[in-house]
Amino acid sequence: MEPAEVEFLAEKELVTIAAQFSLDRIHLIGGDLGPFNPGLPVEVPVWLAINLKQRQKCRLIPPEWMDVGKLEEIRDQERKEDTFTPMPSPYYMELTKLLLNYASDNIPRADEIRTLVKDTWDTRMAKLRLSADSFVRQQEVHAKVDNLTLMEINTTRTFLTQALDHMYKLRTNLQPGESSHSQDF
Amino acid sequence: MPSAQKPMRYGHTEGHTDVCFDDTGSCIVTCGSDGDVRIWENLDDDDPKSINVGEKAYSCALKNGRLITAVSNNTVQIHTFPEGAPDGILTRFTMHVNHVTFSRDGTKVAAGSSDFMIKVVEVTDSSKQKTFRGHDAPVLSLSFDPKDIYLASASCDGSVRVWDIADQTCTTSWLLLQKCNDVINAKSICRLAWQPGTGKLLAVPVDKIVELFRRETWDSQFKLSDASITQPLNVVAWSPCGQFLAAGSVDGNIVVWNVETQQCIERYSVMKHEKKYSICGLAWHPKYKQIAYTDTEGNLGLLENIGDAEKPNDKVASAVAKDYNDLFDGDDDDYLNGDAIEPPSSPKTADNEDDADDVVQPLGHVRRAVIDDDDNSLDIGLIKASSSLLEKEDDADDGVGGLSALPPTSTQQPFYDGPMPTPKQKPFQSGSTPVHLMHRFMVWNSVGIIRCYNDEQDNAIDIEFHDTSVHHATHLPNSLSHTMADLSTEAILLACESTEELASKLHCIHFGSWDANKEWTVDMPKDEEIEAICLGQGWAACATNALLVRVFTVGGVQKEIFSLPGPVVSMAGHGEQLMIVYHRGTGFDGDQCLGVQLMELGRKKKQILHGDPLPLTRRSYLVWVGFSAEGTPCYVDSEGIVRMLNRGLGNTWIPVCNTREHCKGKYDHYWVVGIHENPQQLRCIPCKGARFPPTLPRPAVAILSFKLPYCQVTTEKGQMEEQYWRSVVFHNHMDYLSKNGYEFDENAKNLAVKEQQELLMKLFALSCKLEREFRCVELADLMTQNVVNLAIKYASRSRRLNLAQRLSEMAVEKASELAAAQGDEEEEEDFRSRSSFPIIFLTRQFLCACFRPKTGFQMWLEENRANILTDNPDLNEAEVIKEGMSRFRMLTSEERMVWTEKARGGRVNDSAEDKKRKRPTAEEDEVKKNQEQKSEDTNVSKKSKPLDQSTNNRLSAFAFKQS
Repeated sequence: MEPAEVEFLAEKELVTIAAQFSLDRIHLIGGDLGPFNPGLPVEVPVWLAINLKQRQKCRLIPPEWMDVGKLEEIRDQERKEDTFTPMPSPYYMELTKLLLNYASDNIPRADEIRTLVKDTWDTRMAKLRLSADSFVRQQEVHAKVDNLTLMEINTTRTFLTQALDHMYKLRTNLQPGESSHSQDF
Repeated sequence: MPSAQKPMRYGHTEGHTDVCFDDTGSCIVTCGSDGDVRIWENLDDDDPKSINVGEKAYSCALKNGRLITAVSNNTVQIHTFPEGAPDGILTRFTMHVNHVTFSRDGTKVAAGSSDFMIKVVEVTDSSKQKTFRGHDAPVLSLSFDPKDIYLASASCDGSVRVWDIADQTCTTSWLLLQKCNDVINAKSICRLAWQPGTGKLLAVPVDKIVELFRRETWDSQFKLSDASITQPLNVVAWSPCGQFLAAGSVDGNIVVWNVETQQCIERYSVMKHEKKYSICGLAWHPKYKQIAYTDTEGNLGLLENIGDAEKPNDKVASAVAKDYNDLFDGDDDDYLNGDAIEPPSSPKTADNEDDADDVVQPLGHVRRAVIDDDDNSLDIGLIKASSSLLEKEDDADDGVGGLSALPPTSTQQPFYDGPMPTPKQKPFQSGSTPVHLMHRFMVWNSVGIIRCYNDEQDNAIDIEFHDTSVHHATHLPNSLSHTMADLSTEAILLACESTEELASKLHCIHFGSWDANKEWTVDMPKDEEIEAICLGQGWAACATNALLVRVFTVGGVQKEIFSLPGPVVSMAGHGEQLMIVYHRGTGFDGDQCLGVQLMELGRKKKQILHGDPLPLTRRSYLVWVGFSAEGTPCYVDSEGIVRMLNRGLGNTWIPVCNTREHCKGKYDHYWVVGIHENPQQLRCIPCKGARFPPTLPRPAVAILSFKLPYCQVTTEKGQMEEQYWRSVVFHNHMDYLSKNGYEFDENAKNLAVKEQQELLMKLFALSCKLEREFRCVELADLMTQNVVNLAIKYASRSRRLNLAQRLSEMAVEKASELAAAQGDEEEEEDFRSRSSFPIIFLTRQFLCACFRPKTGFQMWLEENRANILTDNPDLNEAEVIKEGMSRFRMLTSEERMVWTEKARGGRVNDSAEDKKRKRPTAEEDEVKKNQEQKSEDTNVSKKSKPLDQSTNNRLSAFAFKQS
């Protein structure tokens, strides 16, 4: 899966905007949106929010978790615990990137938020690498990893699965007695 | 009674302390270096009320329910007493204050600070300060002349000075004390004191003696000393009668003299400890012969029955002393008398205290409310009002405090307990935040937002529109320092107060104009200040302090001008409507007394509300005035109640929402920005712990729903009733719009009517279920004709024949009424219009025919009932059946068979109906069949009713259509 595809999925997430135009309810395949009243908050998918924002037709109201205080807490919690902590949104990375890229003027302390999310992301990626490493070292057969987001899984999926396959092959080749069996597959 | 000395008790942590009694003497108040002020009911009070006033408290004074403390942040603070709520900062110094004291009437406070300054401040108006300069070292203590002419002060520079308060000059000065560089190094804190009453003598503790100076001549009158005093004296205090003088020494001795005789009457060595802590606070009870004292270890002690040994003839004193003993129980005297025996005077004292509390508490409460506002940094121009509020409260307190200080020997306390006038609230613009803020909203309404920035870099106004298609965002320099603004879809209106050179100005930016000149300005006449402005469609208006309302066209033509009956509070405009709220008079007990005018400035100018009183929640003030998007006047008071004009009920005001119900915290508020009736939306901004939002971060609008305060809304009935009336109230605007020739959404109206009727039908069904048939009829009275018919069907189907019949009667009545009403319009077509209504005239026959499986006899009876009745008109129901029976028997068997067959045919339909209960078609068929039968048997039934047929048809048609 390409990161762009994950981002595409993330664009379905709902965010709140304050419209700067007036429009009745609109009926789309994915469901009804609106009505849009100037100045009133309304929930729309990210793709629409970004589109409207680019046309300067709305003001974004940042999601509740996109707040320096809350993100600091999340980051500290993530650093403190050995396992993955639940994230405020399953698309936190994508949303941060999208919203900060297109609507940073509506998000207070945007730069700090960017840094905090990146910090959290880095911590989590380090944890993921570490757990993959120990998984491989201990030659475990299965492992359970909770609270990973799609984007995170996506970063390691192709590499890890293929690597495990390769390792399996290499290991089985070291033990010639069993190799013949595996070759049959 | 011998004088008694109780053991000292822990009061504060070690360090300097101060003590005083409250006005009535019911409690002792101490402050200490732990920064706490403690209120002791008596010496044995193990749970004194503690008020934290700062890091360290140097001195405290109490009068008229005001506690003044000198604290370590170099300020003199006011707290309410006995609540202990902070009431502001009285004055500030550059160093900490060593002593604060009240003048005798409690209107002024003197404070002496380590920065060599003395200030005398009006308690009610801290801006009225007098500064006394002259000491060359920290000021140790102060004393007010009881006649309020002089102020005495002692300082570390060794001098004791007497100042003239009026012209702030030093009247006289003695060099009496040892010089030192700071208070902590001073031998004595030299708490001097004027003789109460006449102020004839000024007592100054000078080393081991007390020197008394005579007023005016300022020479030393005499000196008081005693052999027991071996260390310098720290404090002196006069008894309230001016007869006795007490002095406390740095080694913990207290000596009391009778000043007239210059005899020492009491000596106490109050220290049990090895270390002799110095007495640093000494206070006489305002009525009784007690002295409360504190030492530098933080202990509190009490001396009682002072001078009793010497002067037992003072009856009042001894009587009150008894009272006192009772109050501060635990006295040995009490033990002797036995606890069960209460002195007869004690309940009186208790009553007096209660009275005093009763009076003080509500006032304190009001003050607290004001302080709440303070915390929220006050909104809507109330900043000034609050200071005047405080003033008023203080005045009130003065009265009460002064009176509660009366001796309890008087049987009645003649205090003024009438209503207190409320200060009038200041004019404000709806949707604005307080003017004193650097960044504030000048207006936030449904069109847009105007923000004002007023800081070092910039003084500017930012205008932003919710709908960018109205106009682009604008940035204006605020060179005239506008404070008021309004915004509509065609113009921006700004106004400023006058300055020394410039008149008050109204400034309009008419961006909707099609010519090049979009701005115009109007200067008010001299001395006329704009207090409120608003914009309507095609006009602008401003109200001034000359009680005038000036109307302009949006292009700047001066139009109407009229006088207001009172000072304006706020204005709002919408379309042609102008609403003005003003002060109708003075409110009392925290209430505002407001009036409202509503007028239409269209082609036909008229006044709708002629200065009617504006109902507000008790003890609240107005915070928002405006119109709903549909043009119904609304307003919000400080208790968060939103009220709306109910045009359907003689222009009364109906509360439609209580925003405080939605608040999570006690101090949270909703700041209303707009009201929409269709859809029902109350747009507001949630403010955590404040009454209004900050400009940054940009607040988000929340939507609240409306709720009429109907009873029992938890029950289904209450809920539906509330919904029904809410729907009615919130669709009143449609009638108004249609009456005034505006276009509106017919569809929405039909929907509303449908919704209301559905609710009524539900209520009807509910009442039916609850066997409340009378209520059903009442409900049906509210229904439209069509729905009444449905209700009749419902009633008859649920076998409530009585109800159905009543309803049908009512339906007929209603129809005829309507017909009559229509008939008035088109008289010649009276008959037609009457018949054009789908009336169901229900008879038993019809009901039976409709809904019961029938026997052949029944069918026969139905057909022939009329015959029987015409033959025997005075038969009752049972007799008719009897008669019918006998007649039926007389028929031939074939005829009977025919009837039975018919009945069977009917039953077939019935079973069909059973199968598809919901579908009225079966029923309809049946009805039709019955009708066919009837028409077939016209020869049998002599009198078939033509009306019946048409109504049945209509009913079925209606039922079909409706379901």
